[in-house]
Amino acid sequence: MEINTHRFTETAKKELKNEYSRVFLDIFRQHFPVLRKKAMASFPNPDKALEKSAAIRADVVARLPELLNQFEKNAIRNGAKVFRAKDAKAANEFIVNLAKQRGVTYVTKGKSMVTEEIGLNQALEENGIKAFESDLGEFITQLLDRPPFHIVGPAMNIPVEEISDIFQKKAGMKDPTLDPVELGQAARVYLRNKFHHVEMGITGVNMAVAETGTIINVENEGNIRMSKSSPKTQVSVMTLEKVVENMADALHLVRVLCRSCTGQKLSAYVSMDSGPKKENEIDGPEELFIVIVDNGRWNFYDDSQSREALKCIRCGTCLNICPVYTKVGGYPYGWAYSGPMGQVLTPLLLGLDRTKDLYHACTQCGACSEVCPGGIDHPKMLHEFRIRQTRIRPRISFKKNDIIDFFEFALWEKMVVHPSLWKLGVTMSRSATRQKNAVRMLKKTNGPVKNWTQSRTMPQIARKTFHERWNELRDKK
Amino acid sequence: MKTISMFIPCLADLFLPRIGEATVTLLRRLGLDPIYHDAQTCCGQPAISSGHMDSAVKAAKHFIQIFEHDEIIICPSGSCVHTVKHQYPDLLKKEPEWAHRARRVGAKTYELSQFLVDILGTKDVGASFSGSAVYHESCKNLRRLGISDQPRKLIDAVKNTELLPLKEADVCCGFGGEFSIRFPDISEAIVAQKVQHFINSEADILVLSEPGCLLNVDGYLQRHHPEKKAMHLAELLSHTE
Repeated sequence: MEINTHRFTETAKKELKNEYSRVFLDIFRQHFPVLRKKAMASFPNPDKALEKSAAIRADVVARLPELLNQFEKNAIRNGAKVFRAKDAKAANEFIVNLAKQRGVTYVTKGKSMVTEEIGLNQALEENGIKAFESDLGEFITQLLDRPPFHIVGPAMNIPVEEISDIFQKKAGMKDPTLDPVELGQAARVYLRNKFHHVEMGITGVNMAVAETGTIINVENEGNIRMSKSSPKTQVSVMTLEKVVENMADALHLVRVLCRSCTGQKLSAYVSMDSGPKKENEIDGPEELFIVIVDNGRWNFYDDSQSREALKCIRCGTCLNICPVYTKVGGYPYGWAYSGPMGQVLTPLLLGLDRTKDLYHACTQCGACSEVCPGGIDHPKMLHEFRIRQTRIRPRISFKKNDIIDFFEFALWEKMVVHPSLWKLGVTMSRSATRQKNAVRMLKKTNGPVKNWTQSRTMPQIARKTFHERWNELRDKK
Repeated sequence: MKTISMFIPCLADLFLPRIGEATVTLLRRLGLDPIYHDAQTCCGQPAISSGHMDSAVKAAKHFIQIFEHDEIIICPSGSCVHTVKHQYPDLLKKEPEWAHRARRVGAKTYELSQFLVDILGTKDVGASFSGSAVYHESCKNLRRLGISDQPRKLIDAVKNTELLPLKEADVCCGFGGEFSIRFPDISEAIVAQKVQHFINSEADILVLSEPGCLLNVDGYLQRHHPEKKAMHLAELLSHTE
């Protein structure tokens, strides 16, 4: 999919003017945490449950190579074929070739963020193979040709009128309707036909259990199960961090995932598949392929700080409580992943250069890390990226922002250790901020003053700072 | 009389000196002897949060040298306390001797409300203010220092003040230091929401315990709702009628 991470500010500006999204997100932000908390309260000890899931994920990440090998071995023993894809290209080529070899003209898909990451749909289309998204949200965004708005609810921001229109235009719905049940029915009818004849299904993976070689999918619509069980050929695509050691760990994660994700104790469907259909079984795919996608993850695995990002279980709860995401929605993040989890993962996959806004667009409030089932400290990671970015930048650079940055802190670090210089700086800045013409000019020039005063009054350095007042206060006892 | 060293954040020193004055008034009323090291500048938080760690190291060492001989250090800002307590040791980890000194300073540095309630064991500081108040939970106070009950107890004990609930009190105000000037539009949307909840609460004042948040919220109020007032917890606690 197209990468637009460098357009963060511009897209955010546009999205802030989208009144429909703004109203929706405000309601969402106020209601979701209540739902989540209520669901978490059904654990005997919610804090312990979260600690446990974080411990499971930490262990997985620490032993990732070993657990992946174990999963691969057991999946193969179950009759699955495993392909390790180094990058997006390798994964797409493998799946496209498979489709070609099987002679299929189309595939059905379950919602999968990794296939968004690698741009699988586009690769299939380029080879004349149509991909039908079968998750209702993905189905809508696919018809509208929009990127996902949220990693769990990709179309949750789309007004029902727009869904009705697009269903009439592209999904064979005859009469306009705003009734969600009728709209759901229309999508169902359209997709049922595809499922009926489907030869190849492609889905994501929520968990891959190392001890048993089992793949677990969590969903609410039944489309993934349909996509996994109807076709002859099933392809499950996963990123390498999806592995979990054993079934007990996986089930704990499923319980935390559902509560964090949708505020449910358990989703409507949880399917577990260990290999293709066996001889004595009546349903299931005849062949199962598991594609394990690296796409840059091993590159940062050895770095103990970066690998923290791999603890994510894609529940989306960090998006739902992020003050920034819940104002701008998912589009500004410019790729498959949005909100704090995207801000943490995307720079590692795409590099720090073209994702600069992602690791700066954080107030460091910490609401995300507080609820993360993976135990990721997102603000800390984003901060680490800021540090790395200032380190990789050459000490001498002629870009305007770099020059400002350099002087700002080169000067600042001198002042901060020399109280007399600090005081001199304060006196000089005070008279500068009281030059009305200069301030007026700064308010019009792109820069910090203009940005601050866009919605706030300009703070003035006090006529007497506390330093200066202290001289009088000290003696007043 | 117990001597208390005041660490007044640079934002308060420069832009909101009334926070420092209120802290002095409050401490003296409690029979304590506040002292202030004239050589203090900035704890280094702006350099840290924008990733300029080499500059921040210099600020940290300066801070440690100035404060390490004090018995108790208090600060009317949770984020600055977080910097000293939690970020200095990490910042100085390559120099174990400095990291050790950082931890020692950190161990005796307290956020104002934390010091009053947890260390002094007091709730009623003898303040009075006629009106209703809501409390905004500043992020570093709440999530990095676990401070939430302390300021509420203190506000609750102020004579004639009624503490009202604030919707989404624990959601960020949109300041975030460099965030507010890097992403002014998003920051504005977030602070506007905070202010709307404040207005809807019908409280007379919005109380918070972080100079950065105050600069942000108050700046927005002055521009859009000049009749509404936000104040630092120290100001409320120093107030008498």
